[in-house]
Amino acid sequence: MTAPLVELRAITKTFPGVLALKGVDLEVMPGEIHGLVGKNGAGKSTLVSVLTGLLRPDRGEVRINGRTLQSFDRRTTIEAGIGLVPQQVRLVPYLTVAENIFCGKLPTNRTGNVDWKQVYDRAQAILDSLNVPVAATTPAGELKVAEQKMVAIAQALSSDMKLIVLDEPTAALPRDDAEIMFSFIRKLKDRGVSFIYISHHLDEVFAVCDRVTVMRDGARIGTYPVSELDMPKLVQLISGANVENYTRRTEMADGPVVLEVKHLTREGAFYDINLTVRRGEVVGLAGLQGSGASEMMRAIYGLEPATGGEIRVDGQPVTIAHTLAALNSGIAWVPDDRRRFGIVGLRPIRENIALSVLHRLTVSLGFYSPRRERALAEQYVNDLNIVTPSLDQPVEFLSGGNQQKVLFARVAAVKPRVLLLDQPAQGVDVQAKAEIFRIVDMMSREGIAVVLYSSEINELLDNCDRILVFREGRIRAEIAAGTPEATEPQILLLAEGG
Amino acid sequence: MQWRNSLVPRLLDNLIWVILILTALGFSLVAKQFFTPYNLINVFLHSSVLGLLVIGQSFTLMTGNFDLSAEATLALTAVIGAWMMIEAPLGANWMLDPWLVVPIMLLIGGLIGAANGYLITRVNMNNFIVTMAMQIALRGAVYIWTQGQTLTGLPKSFAWLGGGQWGPIPVSVVVAILAFIAAHFVLAYRPSGREFYAVGGNPDAAKAAGIDPKRVIMKAYIISGVMAAFAGWMLAGRLESVIPKLGEGMIFEVFAAAVIGGVSLNGGRGTMIGAFGGVLLLSVIDSGLNLMQVSPFWINTIRGLVILLAMFIDSQKERFRLVGAKPAAKEVSKAA
Repeated sequence: MTAPLVELRAITKTFPGVLALKGVDLEVMPGEIHGLVGKNGAGKSTLVSVLTGLLRPDRGEVRINGRTLQSFDRRTTIEAGIGLVPQQVRLVPYLTVAENIFCGKLPTNRTGNVDWKQVYDRAQAILDSLNVPVAATTPAGELKVAEQKMVAIAQALSSDMKLIVLDEPTAALPRDDAEIMFSFIRKLKDRGVSFIYISHHLDEVFAVCDRVTVMRDGARIGTYPVSELDMPKLVQLISGANVENYTRRTEMADGPVVLEVKHLTREGAFYDINLTVRRGEVVGLAGLQGSGASEMMRAIYGLEPATGGEIRVDGQPVTIAHTLAALNSGIAWVPDDRRRFGIVGLRPIRENIALSVLHRLTVSLGFYSPRRERALAEQYVNDLNIVTPSLDQPVEFLSGGNQQKVLFARVAAVKPRVLLLDQPAQGVDVQAKAEIFRIVDMMSREGIAVVLYSSEINELLDNCDRILVFREGRIRAEIAAGTPEATEPQILLLAEGG
Repeated sequence: MQWRNSLVPRLLDNLIWVILILTALGFSLVAKQFFTPYNLINVFLHSSVLGLLVIGQSFTLMTGNFDLSAEATLALTAVIGAWMMIEAPLGANWMLDPWLVVPIMLLIGGLIGAANGYLITRVNMNNFIVTMAMQIALRGAVYIWTQGQTLTGLPKSFAWLGGGQWGPIPVSVVVAILAFIAAHFVLAYRPSGREFYAVGGNPDAAKAAGIDPKRVIMKAYIISGVMAAFAGWMLAGRLESVIPKLGEGMIFEVFAAAVIGGVSLNGGRGTMIGAFGGVLLLSVIDSGLNLMQVSPFWINTIRGLVILLAMFIDSQKERFRLVGAKPAAKEVSKAA
């Protein structure tokens, strides 16, 4: 039996208040494609960050080719032969493929000038030897995404990498290009290169990996040859046996339809979406990133308007070309990326809460009333239990959970008919998460029609009346709460398309 | 800890008044004439034209933009205004009434601002390039229009804003202070005031909250253009003439005053009261150095150093702010 190329032994890592890795082991053999799967927050990225030297573990050791890694920085791990191709490859678009491959280490001639002939000859030789169908003289900006990823891999190999970590290598790739990617990776494997393959697309894991390591809650659940697994079994391992059942009581599900969407389409994102949400109902959307669920909500809110279809609120057709039109139609949205689309960090809490209702907080002659702003903010800080020293505190100094509650206060102040929530509990701690879903439940009981997208299927099962499963831009299934299909493995299976 | 959380940012936001008082006291120790009514009126007089430009500039700065063309807008609107009121050959010989000319000047200023705003928000051109090119082109237009000569013979009623007096108090001082109060009112007591801050602080979030950032930025540039024309009216009135170099080089003082006054170049932060303090500080420094009979060559050097110091304070402010307030807990999702 050959010795493993890379061994991680009992890696433990804590972040303030969180045990991110609990004594994790991992072995990768030479010429192996090793899958690494798990839910968001399971610890995959942390583990890879340790292996690539970006994070120092609290305990445990990393052995590469039998030699223990002494210092944790990227330079040491590059010298040891650990390459990394991130989810979003960043090549310099204006430079040629060859310049990108040799970026920072351009070969020079005797006078110290760049030896351009050698740059292009050697780059082309590398590309040809890897069967990358790209000319070394092409500007990187003209490459397709798949080609960019292959160039990034070639770049890693040109510096003599033994193991390459691929983080979601097929993200943003069309199906055909993903196939090209797979055969490219397999060919490299035959030449002795090892890979760690991180993906949420489990079918890919079955297609290319030799073995797969499953992680959950910072621990390794196990490592299995893919030949001994099937899709349901793998899904079961990822989600864990403790599937929680629906707990929210459904009371008003036969109320009038508030939001109705017919044949809604945005080319390249989602197609022919039909859905209705009743007064007081919480409809969950399940689906992988890029499945169209999040995109559809942005379209309904007018951030990236739909190209076709119809939206009705309370039976009235509405035209939504921008966010103000959505708000005026009674539609509000809580973003997934709260730093980018949510908070205005350096402005105080009271201004952030009032931001969508500025024109309602006026007194005579249209003058703005800071006193009414303060009263409004005070009310929501109390109602939603926002923890802050004062209403004047800039929002950037609040914790993630409290920032998220500020955004809920902002949309609640609008008094919307429809509330669109894009991963509202992302990146907040367990307690804040519970409070946020209490707020969602409270708002729905006030008669608001809620649409909730989450990548955590448990969140959907616990908080929604119905779940619509998105895959590749279309709704593939509808599952009512409390039915036998309303389980995490079942929904994950539908979302994965297995 | 609570007092620290609110005191430190409050002190940093009002740092300008602390510095202003210390500087004034310092000058009064070395120059006895400093705290005389005559000199203090002079300080305010120096502040008035600069102040009007700073008001306009502050609106663009708060949205995260800037307007380099303000000083040339000032000159061009003053030239056009004078041209409409004076005799040939340098004027149009229309001899128009100032009551008609001033609104036209303000309108032209607004149109120049709108042109800047249109190119930046709708054509997506870079704000530096647009306003710099506008500055060069407008200054060129001033020389074409005046043939490089000085326009004189402005009507008395037109010069009243810049040169008139109410007893010992110059009209321009009162008007500039009223303009600051009005601008403060817009920012604090109009719904649009909050919009300027939100767009400057985070345009994507402002858009997601139902605000149109392009419209808000457009508005800021129009205000900047109108205020520049207003300043042109005042400056021409004070000099009772229009020279082609009118306002040349002022833009740097405008930026310095705004930044010293706590208006962030990154947008989203600053108050009109602070900007007013910044204007006063620059005037106090000018006046104090004059009274000390410092060589004019040195005055420019010191001014430059003061601007550098202002930028330094602006860059360090965020660090002090973070020391004062408890930063948000590290987000776990990023690491996990």
